[in-house]
Amino acid sequence: MKHNATKTNTDQGRQVSLWQLFVTFFKTGLFTFGGGYAMISILEEELVAKKHWITSRDMLDMLVIAESTPGVIAVNTATSVGFRMRGILGAIVATLGVVLPSFVIISALSYVINAFADNTWYKAAFTGVQACVTVLVVNAFIKMFRQLESGWFSALMLTAAFNVALFTDFNVIFLILIGGASGILYSLVADSVSRRKGRKLPLENSDIIDGERSDDGENRQSGGDE
Amino acid sequence: MIYLTLFWEYFKIGLFTIGGGYAMLPLVTQIVTKHGWMTEQQLIEFIGVAESTPGPFAINLATFVGNTVGLSTSLGVFGGILGSLVATVAVVLPSLIIIMIVTGLFGKFQSNKYVKGALKGIRPVVVGLILSAVFTVAAKVVLPDFSFKNIFAGGVSRFNWISLIIMAAFFPLAQIKIKGKKIHPILLILLSAAVGIVIFGTLGAQQ
Repeated sequence: MKHNATKTNTDQGRQVSLWQLFVTFFKTGLFTFGGGYAMISILEEELVAKKHWITSRDMLDMLVIAESTPGVIAVNTATSVGFRMRGILGAIVATLGVVLPSFVIISALSYVINAFADNTWYKAAFTGVQACVTVLVVNAFIKMFRQLESGWFSALMLTAAFNVALFTDFNVIFLILIGGASGILYSLVADSVSRRKGRKLPLENSDIIDGERSDDGENRQSGGDE
Repeated sequence: MIYLTLFWEYFKIGLFTIGGGYAMLPLVTQIVTKHGWMTEQQLIEFIGVAESTPGPFAINLATFVGNTVGLSTSLGVFGGILGSLVATVAVVLPSLIIIMIVTGLFGKFQSNKYVKGALKGIRPVVVGLILSAVFTVAAKVVLPDFSFKNIFAGGVSRFNWISLIIMAAFFPLAQIKIKGKKIHPILLILLSAAVGIVIFGTLGAQQ
């Protein structure tokens, strides 16, 4: 697992122009189909691999915010990234960018939209796109999975959330809340256990990992091809 | 004033739905039928359209509902555009404000012990949600009548094996690197549209 772009994001954020933010999210909005998960792949390519604006880990944390707050996930992700890059104006510009394609296309086609979507050729093209979108969601999963800490706790939470979300109608917000509470509990227990054994605290361990990451800043180029 | 009602109703939808665009559907159905803006049938028909047109599903839906409401006023086409604008802004506004606050706080409290602990639990949950989306999206493509929420209901008679083959072909395409660079996802989407036109359109394969 390679880590790239470890410079602090606020430093890089100043170089991002509002126009760049707008264009990036306009493109993302234009090629998002259905729910927002396929857009993770596009954002990964645009924000992490190509432009190094954020890391894959940041991407996961912004998804966490997008999932835990009300609203459309694709839009929430745009707002969160935009705010992170350029503050309030950035949030507004990124949100505008991701929403505008829908707005223009649906408004412009409002009279003919049903005929348009029923068109044989469009349907054929869209059936192809659906298959591709599935692959992109798989890729998004792989990418985000790699950002998780290894260990039984992550595996357990992932498996539980997966099964509940797939097979039941249990509200997502409760999954998030249970996840958060379990995480705090786990960290507290793990802390006290390791303190008793006189070992390093898990929380401090993750700090060390962060430290290692910032050390390999010079590997940024080689890691950037991911 | 119908635009104010539209704004207020969509603002509430934006504020109270957690879990993404599809979670908004019951609320949207409720408000459009309550105000007589649309019949349920009209809405259901458009859901298919909103899924297959570019842009996040929920935004497409909001734009369409707003447009329909606006067109019913005396303002005509201009009213339609105004309605779209009102509904879209209203649905986005609550989360815009909330996310700015949360992202700001997140930056500040990222290293807090409890925030770190909570994230340790929420990150795998979110990745689990993405994995469940993988299965839902894949089933929609390959087994359109099947539902994981109701696995004993069957729905496995329609099996789109051609879509499965396209998926199998695109998976390695999405992984390979040419000169150290992956193929851009947007390029893959355009390619898949072309493949769809050839296979399902020109060759007339069963969709």
